Amino acid sequence: MPYAIVPPYLLRRVAAAGDHYPTAAAAARRSLRAGAPSEPAPVRPFDPSQSYALPDSPSQPDRRISDAGGTTRLPGRLVRREGERATGDEAVDDAYDGLGDTHRLFDQVYGRDSIDGRGMPLEASVHYGRDYDNAFWDGARMVFGDGDGEVFAGFANSLTVIGHELSHGVVEHTARLRYEYQSGALNEHVADVFGSLVEQYARGQSAETASWLVGAEVFTDAVEGRALRSMLEPGTAYDDDVLGRDPQPAHFDDFIDTDEDNGGVHLNSGIPNRAFALAARAAGGFAWEGVGRVWYDVLVSGELAENAKFAAFADLTIAAAVRRYGVGSAIAAAVRSGWETVGVPVAAAEPAR
Amino acid sequence: MDVVVVRSGGLAGLRTEWRVDVGAQPDADEWDGLLRSLPWRTATSTAPTPDRYVYRISCASHEATLGEGQLTGPWRSLVDRVQQTVEPTRRSRPPARPRSR
Ligand SMILES: [Zn+2]
Repeated sequence: MPYAIVPPYLLRRVAAAGDHYPTAAAAARRSLRAGAPSEPAPVRPFDPSQSYALPDSPSQPDRRISDAGGTTRLPGRLVRREGERATGDEAVDDAYDGLGDTHRLFDQVYGRDSIDGRGMPLEASVHYGRDYDNAFWDGARMVFGDGDGEVFAGFANSLTVIGHELSHGVVEHTARLRYEYQSGALNEHVADVFGSLVEQYARGQSAETASWLVGAEVFTDAVEGRALRSMLEPGTAYDDDVLGRDPQPAHFDDFIDTDEDNGGVHLNSGIPNRAFALAARAAGGFAWEGVGRVWYDVLVSGELAENAKFAAFADLTIAAAVRRYGVGSAIAAAVRSGWETVGVPVAAAEPAR
Repeated sequence: MDVVVVRSGGLAGLRTEWRVDVGAQPDADEWDGLLRSLPWRTATSTAPTPDRYVYRISCASHEATLGEGQLTGPWRSLVDRVQQTVEPTRRSRPPARPRSR
């Protein structure tokens, strides 16, 4: 990739020359966003009002939506490709739009072109199975059920769910967190973080105004609940006669020790979820900047072990916040305080110089 | 004798349990045949896939944990039959278990 070689000052100059060299300028702007690995990350005070993202998007998504037609055979019939008109099938068109929003966050904010960073097609199948109450990432595509109509109303209509599934793909192409026990809960956590950030970015919401809910659209009106999960207040998303109560713990003391759900990956993710939401709210401004950028740094750093536990992940986020924003920065303090509030042990602070 | 199916995981992380008292079924012989045909000993769970269901199936001293993608053949027949026979009970939180340490 060119950004490893071209010095940043030159990239900045090329980026500014958009009128004369539009393609090169766009590529240079993208490289600047991606950040040159050889260049030490700038230490600068965090300004919540300042968006570091650049306005245009040089990379385009390559979306392919298929219709499984109520079967469990994948991918099903290809019904909408990139640039094609809306089909009128809500699930198809919602998936298409949601994949576009997800691509936009990763591309414009983190300089990542698609799941693999190299423009991989974004594939989804909708209408999977009969009364299927789930959505998943199968390693190649996102798959969405229509729900049973009684408890679940469908999944493709939820932008946070689409962002969540696609983020599993990003994890698979970066940190490869093993999908069981604590590392699995971190995998789930990262998918919730970027799923939520996709929605916040698309709606222009600050950390203060964001709902911090994942899957707010999936339940029918009959269910007593706001969403599948609340990142800010784990354990409070639903309390329903049929579903029971949201089981997510909000503190490390309440960690659930189980072999079910691959070691409680969808349960214990509540703990890091709350740490992230608290850190983002303490930092203020847009969560995809600041704290979101720190989390993305950790994901692509190569330092995160596939079997990482919460404490190791927490330490890496604090180190990444210090690297990007400085030892005494508000972001580093917010990240540390988030982990401390949920009881995840972190390394002692370096004294600020 | 009870056959118990516990489905956990999925995007929502909900836990659902089905329990059938095989002896009380009018077609108990058919249930017996189906349970005998299951490859209990060779069932091993594969690497988990994000947000897919996990099934734990148990009967007497037998137990198998299978990913959704592995639920084929006689396993699928059994789970379908169990789900058609009884209403599920949902309990969002897994039962507490003694610490192994
Ligand atoms: Zn997930």
